[in-house]
Amino acid sequence: MRADKISPAFSFSGGYNVNISNRETAKTLVHKPRREISRWFVNASKTPNGTGIGIWRDGAWCTSRWVPGHSGIRYNEMADKLARGASEGPEPTCGNSYGSIKAFVRSEIAARHCSNWNALAGMRHCKTVGIRPMAGKLEIQWSPIKNKFITWGSEVCLYEIEQLKEQSTPLIKLSPLTGAHLLATNNNYHYVKCIDIYPKSDKDLLLAIGQANGKIVLSTFGATVYDSQFLPGKELVPRHQRQCNAISWNTTECNKIVAGFEKNRSDYSVLLWDINKSPSHGENGPIRPIVEYGLSDTTHSLAWINSKVLATGNNNKQIRILDFRDSAKQVNHTITKAVHGISVNPHNERFLASYVDHQVCVWDTRNFEKPMLVLPHLKQLSKIAWCTTKQNLLGILQRDLPSLNLYDIQQTMVGNEEVEPSVIERIVTPGLHNITSFSWHPNDENRFLAISLAGHIVDYIVFDRITLNWTTNANLVWTCGRKTLKYITETNTLYESLQDISQKIKLRACKGYGLKDELCKNGEMVDDIMLRNVWNRLHLSDKLVEDGTLRGSNSKHPGVRSVLKIDGATIKSESVSISWTETSGINCAGSAKMYKHEDREKALYLCGWYFDKDTASLTEFLDELEKDQAFTRAAAIAVFNLKIKTAIEILTRGSENCIPGTNLNVVAMALAGFSDDKNSMWRQFCASPKTKLNDPYLRAMFSFLTAENNNYDNILYENGMTVDDRVAFACIFLPDNKLNDYLKSLTMTLIYEGNLDGILLTGNTQEGVRILQKYLDTTGDIQSTALIAVRSFNTELLQDLGKDWINSYRSLLDSWQLWHERAMFDIMLSSQRPNDKPPQQVYISCNFCGKSISAFMQGLTRGRGTFPRMGGANKLKMSSCPNCRKPLPRCAICLMHMGTTTGDQCTSDGDGTKLVDFSHWFTWCQTCRHGGHASHMIHWFKQHLECPVTACQCRCFSIDAV
Amino acid sequence: MFEVQEINAEHKDLIHDVAYDFYGQRMATCSSDQYVKVCLMTSVTDVKFGPKTQGLILATCSADGIIRIYEAPDVMNLSQWTLQHEVQCKPSCSCLSWNPSFSKIHPPMLAVGCDDTSAATGGKVFIYEFSENSRRWTKIETISSITEPVHDLAFSPNLGRSYHVLAIATKDVRILNLTPVNDNNSIQSGITKLDVQTAAQFEDHLSTVWRVCWNITGTILASSGDDGYVRMFKMNYINSWKSVAALKGDGSKLLSNENYQSSVGSSAGLPTPPISQTARYIKLGAISQPREVPWH
Repeated sequence: MRADKISPAFSFSGGYNVNISNRETAKTLVHKPRREISRWFVNASKTPNGTGIGIWRDGAWCTSRWVPGHSGIRYNEMADKLARGASEGPEPTCGNSYGSIKAFVRSEIAARHCSNWNALAGMRHCKTVGIRPMAGKLEIQWSPIKNKFITWGSEVCLYEIEQLKEQSTPLIKLSPLTGAHLLATNNNYHYVKCIDIYPKSDKDLLLAIGQANGKIVLSTFGATVYDSQFLPGKELVPRHQRQCNAISWNTTECNKIVAGFEKNRSDYSVLLWDINKSPSHGENGPIRPIVEYGLSDTTHSLAWINSKVLATGNNNKQIRILDFRDSAKQVNHTITKAVHGISVNPHNERFLASYVDHQVCVWDTRNFEKPMLVLPHLKQLSKIAWCTTKQNLLGILQRDLPSLNLYDIQQTMVGNEEVEPSVIERIVTPGLHNITSFSWHPNDENRFLAISLAGHIVDYIVFDRITLNWTTNANLVWTCGRKTLKYITETNTLYESLQDISQKIKLRACKGYGLKDELCKNGEMVDDIMLRNVWNRLHLSDKLVEDGTLRGSNSKHPGVRSVLKIDGATIKSESVSISWTETSGINCAGSAKMYKHEDREKALYLCGWYFDKDTASLTEFLDELEKDQAFTRAAAIAVFNLKIKTAIEILTRGSENCIPGTNLNVVAMALAGFSDDKNSMWRQFCASPKTKLNDPYLRAMFSFLTAENNNYDNILYENGMTVDDRVAFACIFLPDNKLNDYLKSLTMTLIYEGNLDGILLTGNTQEGVRILQKYLDTTGDIQSTALIAVRSFNTELLQDLGKDWINSYRSLLDSWQLWHERAMFDIMLSSQRPNDKPPQQVYISCNFCGKSISAFMQGLTRGRGTFPRMGGANKLKMSSCPNCRKPLPRCAICLMHMGTTTGDQCTSDGDGTKLVDFSHWFTWCQTCRHGGHASHMIHWFKQHLECPVTACQCRCFSIDAV
Repeated sequence: MFEVQEINAEHKDLIHDVAYDFYGQRMATCSSDQYVKVCLMTSVTDVKFGPKTQGLILATCSADGIIRIYEAPDVMNLSQWTLQHEVQCKPSCSCLSWNPSFSKIHPPMLAVGCDDTSAATGGKVFIYEFSENSRRWTKIETISSITEPVHDLAFSPNLGRSYHVLAIATKDVRILNLTPVNDNNSIQSGITKLDVQTAAQFEDHLSTVWRVCWNITGTILASSGDDGYVRMFKMNYINSWKSVAALKGDGSKLLSNENYQSSVGSSAGLPTPPISQTARYIKLGAISQPREVPWH
């Protein structure tokens, strides 16, 4: 009765699932001699969860999956129940004791193990065989049918892949996008060694299953179209029983199947069958193979090279190539130990790959003596496979690793010689532990399935390495797979969201930014407040210097610091006290201390506070601000000018038509209560909540009104206020030494920040250059930097730096092909720098002597005065090279020599210099060097594609992309 | 929403590199199928043309660790390239980049990266500079902070900046600022001293980074990695870097700022191999005869 306890389905080669918790121990166990293993099993005991047989030895805890082979059989169930009860509960009062059951199980396992052991072909001669994970190895393979794959271990399972959807029946999740359904299982065969799928399976799968006993069975999942051909269940049996190692359908002649076997002294190891052949007449025996090869050999692996040629790995020592055209003949062979897992490159049948232990060999069958490539690995190899979709990509799996090695092997030709192939190695981790097998998808690019020891499956797509590049016009291109390139253009919305400076520069350049004569107009073109301020400021200082307000400074754009002569002799300002009542007329007794000096006034002009002369200009300025909705700034400036009443009025007006949320009315009310009495309630009340005001100007205003001992730090370091206002404030209220210190420290901060507002302080000095450099460093805005430098800085100051900026900007415009903008910039440049002429950019050299003609042209024009005959009415004609006297090329249309006009009168512009119309200019193709007058050429190419010169087939016009 | 265009390059195999001409109008691709398409000549990762200010010059680096600099004396005759300099570097050089600065202040500069896998050999990025005095290329800096194999590196367009920016593709994206130090020492010796600072380090790819490239102003860096994404990093105003976009390689997904973080999370599922196992790029053939550069 107890014999049932050992299920017939329990086997070592089939459904054996070994989990070894301590891998190191397991490794030593695995290589133990045979008797050790039997001892291993004798120590078997029940596992903690009671469902299988656990084997405990030397710290390695192994669990074998129990296959309940007798479930459903009534008496067996009863026996099982009794046994379970016996093991859990107290000793049964009748029947067998717990100990005796255990002893029985033990002995039975040992016996079963021994019989299995001996049944396995070849085992008898093996010295070291262990229970390796290999024994319970799970294999996986894509089928020829789309989206279906099989796995096999103890049983053969068929799965179908589906896209994962939100609400779908629970699938086995294979990847973030795909899942699989188990369609069918086939557990009729338990000693499966290898499987190959009938290559013409387009609707149903037909499997050839090679087993440990050597039988090859054709099998299906349920009823199929093959039933009518009586294929399922057909058995192909070798004469002598031994393990089937490899099996392979011929993909062209699909009825042929070849199998490789273990060694038998009197039998062949490579057998080729035709499955459509019936047993010979009068016999009921098995189908005979049509070809046999390799007497008393072992065949470890085999693969079809083409429909007639087969590669086999034999006897641990050689790879043979067999030709079946004329029975079976060995046509090529090589001596190697790498005889396992022979795989033929599907894209180039010349290349084979095989492995042994730790190394993979790649072979070129034309040069078969030695491997083309040897790839050593750290761990034992378990599977290799060429990628079916990508050329020359070999996937290699090492035992116990969560990753797969991929090798892109490329044969390189240098001249006519083949050099050592180049290999690009990649490692991919599909996200499994201990991958036991993988399979490339037959059609989908770079897709494979991998299965782990624990039975988890992953559907993985290897991302091809992406290479990418950026064009100058913001096209970003990258590769996608092997054939396509993806790109995004500058119009892509992505760039809009990025707000990159390169886009802005291009846009501004197209609008003519920086080229406007009036400096402040340039500022209007940009949306950047800082840049706008800079242009306005430069405009202002330029104007002030021009109208003589800022005398005594030789620079075009002086800064506040140079106006105040901070770096030179210190100025002595007189301090003026202006009583609050005078200007505000409210309940104030005290006065505010202000400082006045001629230079300070100039500085105020620079800051835009040019209203000290009369009150009208202040009102005007405040009105301007009010128009721009800058109520708080207007109010603060009014307060700084001690006009509290005006400030209150501004705020009241502001509250009427102002932004909701800011309650200016309340602020006006608070302001109305101003008293400069140091102990007044107002002052105490206002001192604390003023920090809670959101608006920087309101904050500054109250800081000013509540300031003690003329300490204005809260205003001077109020970063919400513009630099202009802060500097102007300092110029009014700070004594000389403090003003000096303040401006110096502010300059340093602004230089450090690269804040262009600092130009207000520095003007166009060396420090201004430093600010520009810093601004460029932080923003990359070469355009504004170059333009500001050109427009307001001296060449001497800029030196090489400025040249770099200008050249960088010009080359930027060049690369965008903004030729017109480049030319405009050059024109502006030469107007700003009349001394440095732009270098000559075009030279014309003679076709014959190679000497420059243009030099002579210049010489001639210069010397026009001395040769009056050549100028004037008789226009200068130069139709031959002045150096070698050979004629210049002729216009292909009118056949006149270069230098001759089309005959029309040339127009002279206002300056009296004669400039010929563009249509009369000489132009030529840069490729074929043929050309002529521009008007003639344009006319010609309106109707023709090819060059006007006879027999010249140059498509000049199409080549010239500009 | 976002749209990605497609070009069929008609290559039979993996495309290794894409190059554009100065105006971004012509494109060259090179591929494992041993063809270079639409192009006069181009490189296999380790051949780069020098900046145009230095004439027609190109540098190659090879697995044997020698940087060679060739020059075409006659611009009209591109079949003749003479070997000008040969610099011994560390073995297994994988990539190089010219400093594109136009400035006369900056002498010609090259950065070379190695893809040798062992961390023990120290720094993997070297900066070489051409000294006008000695007419030689000298190593002026070894970036010791990078010990993982380097697959690609790129100097950003200089555009008048006072420092150089070097992007490096190694196990992550690295952005280095190289500031020339102008002290007396360096002026006397004529050798630039560099102050090297890591401006940013991004592990967004969660795997080996394969390529890096700059936009025209050097303000956005694009990188590609083994995670199958193209990612973008942008310099914001205060000279610090931020990742701004992730584009799936097949063009199916484009993520910018807002939904960016999710992409980092989703690709994080799989364990990455330890550094020692990350992919290695083996040179596509070494140059055996320095005078015969194999052109495709």
